[in-house]
Amino acid sequence: MRYNEKELRALSQQPAEMAAELSMRGPKKGSVAKRRLVKLVVNFLFYFRTDEAEPLGALLLERCRVSQEEPGGFSISEWLPPSPPSRPGCFLPGHKNLFDGPRAAQGFIEDPERKYYFECCTQEQCQEWMEALRRASYEYMRCSLIFYRNEIQKMTGKDPLEQFGISEEARFQLSSLPRDRRAACVGTQLDELD
Amino acid sequence: MKLNKRSVAHYALSDSPADHMGFLRTWGGPGAPPTPSGTGRRCWFVLKGNLLFSFESREGQAPLSLVVLEGCTVELAEAPVPEEFAFAIHFDAPGVRPHLLAADGQEAQEAWVKALSRASFSYMRLVVRELESQLQDARRSLALHRCTSQKASASCRKPQAPDSRSPGLENGHFLPRDCSPVGTVEGVGYRPVGWDLPEWELQGPTGLLLGRGQSPVSPETSCFSTLHDWYGQEILKLRQGWQQRAQGKQPGCKRQDKP
Repeated sequence: MRYNEKELRALSQQPAEMAAELSMRGPKKGSVAKRRLVKLVVNFLFYFRTDEAEPLGALLLERCRVSQEEPGGFSISEWLPPSPPSRPGCFLPGHKNLFDGPRAAQGFIEDPERKYYFECCTQEQCQEWMEALRRASYEYMRCSLIFYRNEIQKMTGKDPLEQFGISEEARFQLSSLPRDRRAACVGTQLDELD
Repeated sequence: MKLNKRSVAHYALSDSPADHMGFLRTWGGPGAPPTPSGTGRRCWFVLKGNLLFSFESREGQAPLSLVVLEGCTVELAEAPVPEEFAFAIHFDAPGVRPHLLAADGQEAQEAWVKALSRASFSYMRLVVRELESQLQDARRSLALHRCTSQKASASCRKPQAPDSRSPGLENGHFLPRDCSPVGTVEGVGYRPVGWDLPEWELQGPTGLLLGRGQSPVSPETSCFSTLHDWYGQEILKLRQGWQQRAQGKQPGCKRQDKP
């Protein structure tokens, strides 16, 4: 898969939502923890040598799992489908939830070889990072948007996106989510919020 | 620079929604001449969120290329072949050539330009924040409405929510200041003490906005305490009137200062 490094590098120089020097360990066997500047920019996590402007690498944060690791650390596991990948528009059975949590574990196969470990200075910093990383996916944003749109429509009877002329936009429709995830998306947030 | 390619490729093929797809002609690729010529190569393109993937065919099982649609603009362009419905993705980065693509027809071209120019994460985040703030307004006015209708007071008016409509949501451009973390969906649970509205009105999504303070859409009302005071004046007045009536001193509710 081709991609332009210069484009990604330019993205890595954008203002970060979170940035800190953390101890980071890659997924390769026998790899040791190293001090890295870690930067969260949109749905990518960039990591740099602490004295270099050029990023060493980037992790796409869609469909990743962020977990607490003892002590004062967290990990990011890459998502792998439980069965051979299907085409866009289909969905994998058992993959019910966009959000990290017990239910999201269904259909998620963790590959110990694709796990990145991070160590924070404090437990507080660790929580902050985990929160930010869990929200840093386009799918999470889409789900939030659909939730808010439905809530506002229920309360006011009006579509809040109409005034901007974007109510027809495919990416803002509930139907843009796979059927099994629609209820999960709105349902989860309702559970949490009401 | 490394990228977790395997994971990216899995995401490209996963069940997550595709925001747009179709065949496009492309002139990029390894060994492509600096100036595109010829008819290009026809590939299947899938837009997922802020990621544009290309495949050999509709059934392709491995993405050929990835473009991350952040910090770029999409414009109509001239194709090397006449009568092509071309457009280009431009990046504002040194040494980065635009991606030249062409659709089969004008309709497809327009649909692609529209979808691509609204694809950035930052744009999505801006819309989410806008709706967050609208929901907060709606909840507040509902709370107030219930409060006033219970007291059946004609002089109680609904508050006008501060104007927080942000321009430019329709064109996909976002403001560079939009870089602070979004309000938490879980809520941080910050609630002022001594707020006398029924508790249920203040729980749930109203708590969403209170976490991070900064609103990208209405900076002048971004501070919760300002909003709180602003809405609070109304509540205090109502409460005062209600208490007075409850004590049987002022059956008229408000306007007591007028002769």
